[in-house]
Amino acid sequence: MKIPPRKHKAEVPSVAMGDIAFNLLIFFVILAKAQDDSHLNWTPAATAKVESAGATRVSVLINSENKLHLNGQPIGLSQLAPRVKELLGDAPAGDRTVVLKVHRESQALQFEPVIEAISEAGGDLVHILEEKRP
Amino acid sequence: MRRRSNNLLVEPPSVATGDIAFNLIVFFLVCASVQPDSGRKQTLPRSEEKAKQEQQTKNVEVLLTRTTAAVNGDLVPQRELLPRLRTLLSGKLRPEDRVVVVKSRPDTPYAFWIEVTGLIEEAGGTVTIQREEERTVQVGG
Repeated sequence: MKIPPRKHKAEVPSVAMGDIAFNLLIFFVILAKAQDDSHLNWTPAATAKVESAGATRVSVLINSENKLHLNGQPIGLSQLAPRVKELLGDAPAGDRTVVLKVHRESQALQFEPVIEAISEAGGDLVHILEEKRP
Repeated sequence: MRRRSNNLLVEPPSVATGDIAFNLIVFFLVCASVQPDSGRKQTLPRSEEKAKQEQQTKNVEVLLTRTTAAVNGDLVPQRELLPRLRTLLSGKLRPEDRVVVVKSRPDTPYAFWIEVTGLIEEAGGTVTIQREEERTVQVGG
């Protein structure tokens, strides 16, 4: 007599579905950070007192190669003021913070026009700095 | 006959321990992001160079080079900068008189600029930038 082979039903375990979904969520939340500039190389200047920059929609960065970036994307100086203005929109005073991250060795020739452009766009400037250690 | 209650030891399922540990690692990695997010606010008066040019001549002027700072034309060591600025700004009560015009040579490093502008603000001054290329250039003819 021929014994028919047993057929086992193989199912994907559904216990881990919640965990998988949660991990995917974290992954995409990190990716979708609107102003992620963590891939850019820069060293902050130091100062005695620092305070929290608070929530902001706009981040301007001059990296160690003196390249200008807006929210992590390269941008030219001439487009900076209109783009910052556009991003700030009609935000009320106090909600118009623009964080400025400048590599400590950058020269006035590079950072002064950027400060001026932010001021022209009506942004509240916050220099991102490192606290000086005694 | 009295039946004994069925007290079974209930153990939490250990299948999910790996996932929990992984989530905790991700959470702490995100929290430990080394990107600085604190600094210093700076209020810059809107640039109206032409109209305010006359006013600016009465204001304190700081000229920065790569390593030095000059106040109203006098070279001042960095440690004496704060008392000098305090003295110059002491009698000035109106906000427009407390404006300090900062002119920087093109090679002035940001770290030095931040240090000096920090001292100006500590002395009660309001920083305004005057860029080299904005200076009036008279062409003969």
